[in-house]
Amino acid sequence: MEITGLPQPPQVHRIPQFRYVDSIRWLPSISPFQKSLIVAFFDTDTSTPSLEIHSLSPSKTLSLLSCWNPPSRISSLKCTPSLIAASTFSGSLYCFSTAGKSLESVVAEPQVSVVGRDFHVGPIGGVDLMEGGSDCVSVGEDGRVNLVKLGFEGYHGKGNCRRVFDGNGLVSYTAVRWASPTEFVTGGCGFGLQWWDLRRPGSAVAQFKGNWDQGTTSGIIHSIDIHPSRKHTCLAGGSSGTVFAWDLRWQQEPIILSGVGTNENKTHSLSESDVWEVQYDSYIKSSSSSISSSRILPAMICSEDGILAVIEQGEEPLELLAEPCAINSFDIDRQNPSDVVCSLEWESIAILSRP
Amino acid sequence: MPGVASESGGGGASDSIGGALVPFLPDSQVAVVYPLRHGLKPPISRVSVSWALGNTLRVSVFRPPAVESDHDDDVGGKVLEVKLGGNGDGELSDAQWRRIAYGSVSPFALLQSRRNSALSLSKMQLSPSPYHLEWWEYVMEYSKDISSLLGHPKSSPDPVIEDPKEVLKKVEEPTCLKAAWDLMEMFYADKLSQAWLPERLVKWLADYDSLLSDTQATVHLKLLEFQGRLVTLQVVEDDSKYWEVVSSALAVGWLQIVVKMLRLHGSYQLDQLGSRETENGLVETVAVLISKMPRLCPELEAGNLGECYKAKPDFMKAWERWRAQVTKLDSSAFWVQCDHRQTREGLKNLLQILLGNASILSTVTCNWMELYISHLLYIRPFTVGLESLYSLAQKCIQLKPMTSPHKLMQLIIGILGENTELILAECSRGFGTWMTAHAMEFLTAGSNQAEVLLHEERDNLGGISVMELHRLVHAQVLSSHILTWQIAPIYLISCMKQGMGLLEILLSRQPVKHNQLLIKNLEICRLYELDSVSSNIMKIAGIYHWKHGRKGSGVFWLQQARDEVCLNRIAQQLFDTVGKSISDESFKQWEGLIELLGSESKPVGGLEFLHKYRDFKRSLNQVYDGKPTDATKQAVESLLSLMKNPSTPQRFWLPLLYDSLKLLNWQERPLLNVSQTNLLLNKLQELSMARVRPDFIEADLPPQALSSVRLALATNLGRAILEES
Repeated sequence: MEITGLPQPPQVHRIPQFRYVDSIRWLPSISPFQKSLIVAFFDTDTSTPSLEIHSLSPSKTLSLLSCWNPPSRISSLKCTPSLIAASTFSGSLYCFSTAGKSLESVVAEPQVSVVGRDFHVGPIGGVDLMEGGSDCVSVGEDGRVNLVKLGFEGYHGKGNCRRVFDGNGLVSYTAVRWASPTEFVTGGCGFGLQWWDLRRPGSAVAQFKGNWDQGTTSGIIHSIDIHPSRKHTCLAGGSSGTVFAWDLRWQQEPIILSGVGTNENKTHSLSESDVWEVQYDSYIKSSSSSISSSRILPAMICSEDGILAVIEQGEEPLELLAEPCAINSFDIDRQNPSDVVCSLEWESIAILSRP
Repeated sequence: MPGVASESGGGGASDSIGGALVPFLPDSQVAVVYPLRHGLKPPISRVSVSWALGNTLRVSVFRPPAVESDHDDDVGGKVLEVKLGGNGDGELSDAQWRRIAYGSVSPFALLQSRRNSALSLSKMQLSPSPYHLEWWEYVMEYSKDISSLLGHPKSSPDPVIEDPKEVLKKVEEPTCLKAAWDLMEMFYADKLSQAWLPERLVKWLADYDSLLSDTQATVHLKLLEFQGRLVTLQVVEDDSKYWEVVSSALAVGWLQIVVKMLRLHGSYQLDQLGSRETENGLVETVAVLISKMPRLCPELEAGNLGECYKAKPDFMKAWERWRAQVTKLDSSAFWVQCDHRQTREGLKNLLQILLGNASILSTVTCNWMELYISHLLYIRPFTVGLESLYSLAQKCIQLKPMTSPHKLMQLIIGILGENTELILAECSRGFGTWMTAHAMEFLTAGSNQAEVLLHEERDNLGGISVMELHRLVHAQVLSSHILTWQIAPIYLISCMKQGMGLLEILLSRQPVKHNQLLIKNLEICRLYELDSVSSNIMKIAGIYHWKHGRKGSGVFWLQQARDEVCLNRIAQQLFDTVGKSISDESFKQWEGLIELLGSESKPVGGLEFLHKYRDFKRSLNQVYDGKPTDATKQAVESLLSLMKNPSTPQRFWLPLLYDSLKLLNWQERPLLNVSQTNLLLNKLQELSMARVRPDFIEADLPPQALSSVRLALATNLGRAILEES
């Protein structure tokens, strides 16, 4: 498969960390000149996980602003302009408020921590914070879907936790994403996606089960993204380089953007290994002039075989980075989408600035 | 990490050879205490200890089983990992070693693929040498890539105002690893520099002399000490140490430092210039002569003094001319007019060094390496060839025997003596398994003889070659760490004999606890087409998740592994739960799992029954009394297909029929025709007969269930016969 290069390749800075990077996100910042990152590290020499906020200087050096040691490694990390949520492999959730605080004190101590067997048993697969709201949804391998309402006005403690669903381990969820203030989508084994509506509790309102892969092996969804302007479409990435969009209006027909065994659909298979994260990429303007609402917007992916690329329906993928090791997570700076940060398997961080 | 494990790795390897290649010194017998922070409330009832990855111990601490289980938050035990030992010689931290290990993967893999294509090319052309002429260029590229990982001995940016009294520039502390790598590169990979080897060695010592200070007296150490005194000295030339240090620096060819120090001479001061004119002239003349010394090298680095000559004849001519100038100055009449005794003697001494006075060289240098360099500079500047370089080195060792050996000096002896075994042993002892595995590319690039030695399969190594042995050892060290095991396969697959087997073991032994790691493991299996290993791993993962109550994940992985045996057994367990718990309410929980079971084309063992059972239950729920609808029809069809299907477990027959009583007792008209009813009656008959068998599992139903089903079926049969007639 031919992969077109950018006319101008992005500038890449690799910053060795000497610790494993579990997850990395841009922190929304007030000033465009001060950029900062939140990083979940794991130091294997001392077996200590840490959640750290670093400022990024224009010369691409990191300096530590604040740090907190969670009791277990971070499995999922999400940020909104006012909140940070981090879940752990031991099934606990910690939330931090960034509103009205200096970055030096943000992660000193979590404002809300939810722990205990009533919450999740085993690793939390994914968390997501509602945009502009204060609700955090978490899903786990134990099959539980929990909703934590975060009230921060002088509030410390357990948060207001509610069980949305308990799959009793009969299902495992690995990813979650809000679609609207009352709806969210979860993903799990067998390329399954579930659409939930809090107004209709009890079970998922729509289910998607990948059936296109008859005969070949199935996979796991690792990451989901939903574009605020296209709430009926959900973008998912998972095993075997699979990236597809599921449109609620045509529930049985996934739109495959990348993946193996899809030759007849003329899609571009970028990678055969697991796609760890997908995010819509607002930096790349869709190349087709007529943007219909059924067309999938450009999306960025990162993969186990070290590829960071932008894919677009019916277009050649645009490769931004090809590393000799896995790229485990990435994040596009929402305020300045030309900047991308990603965590590499070999204990380092790469920062890309697109021209 | 590599540092520590190299000791055990090297030791173990030499044991198997019988007769140690590398002397193995057990560590001192000091007991080390490792604190265990388990954080459990006493009492502790049991402690179990086992090996974990690498040099870590896994300690499991258990509390006695709780009598009252009211304290839900109390944990019953904890598993801790304790890392034993420190990291090697402490020159590089574990994390730095890992960074080197990561970075060397790509250059190593590239060189291997180039070697393979070179080998296949030479097989096609039947040429005697497997490598074409430019092979060393590839090795050089490899060497440069790796060298850049090991750090750059770069000096800090020059200050705007130079401190006249700072003779030694502050540089980043060099590492022995880098020094050793540079040495190997110089001798084996860089064919262009072969003609300038002596100059390269001078440069090497200038860069790394500080490292030798660990076990030797060095000129660097002398300079460092003197630099401390320099600030307090008013008149440097009166100090005997000053002249000693200057001559030492000159002996090892650090011309820039020498000239800088000479210009600190008191006679340069303006107020003294008039009275010490001759003296100052002599100092300056010597300084100029030193800075004009001819050097045989392609180019001089910025700031280095001397005049550089690329071709040997030019160099020889220049050298003779320069020597003549030195001799002329030595016998000059001006010395008599020099009143300052220390200056006169000191300068004369410097001239003797330039003229190659062996006894003075021997006194001003501190160890044999420095003496060797001084000989190369001033006595035998035209030395070429390893043989003559080696004999000169031996002569210097005799003149200045080593009090305590240094790993870099040992390595140089091995290289000069073309002693491949010694080089390997020194690499493995002094620099770890990483160095040995990667430096072997140099040795094979260097000589055919070494290549034969390294590639020869040896019975005492179990049929593998020395090359393979060292790669395997390095791979083992990588495998022992949670972060580096993923790069071990690169080295394992370059091992023809045992690599694949060890790779399979490595992959099979990785923990399956976290999906992310599991997937990374499976990805490696996919890359190397190890399908059977990957399906084994998936089976292990499936069972693991199943055992930990994550039935969905368990079934998913077993499905991926296409393990019908396990799926069938799991099915039996699931049916137990299903028989009890699939009430209409709990069905929502099962929905996800049943979705996962998916279409019939996949091997799901007996579990496909669940899928149909769900469909049946679903349509049954939509059936209401009154007119028969599509749902009713579908429910009847589902019931019949379930009863006909051989994969439907017998124990579900009665519950299924009992659930469908409302279909059998349909008010309006019989829903099942005669043959369908007969089929169900036959099944009921079969069931009654099976009840006498010992392995029969009684369904959890009210006692009158069987009779009510039988009655319903009989009634339905009667009505169906009437209707059909």
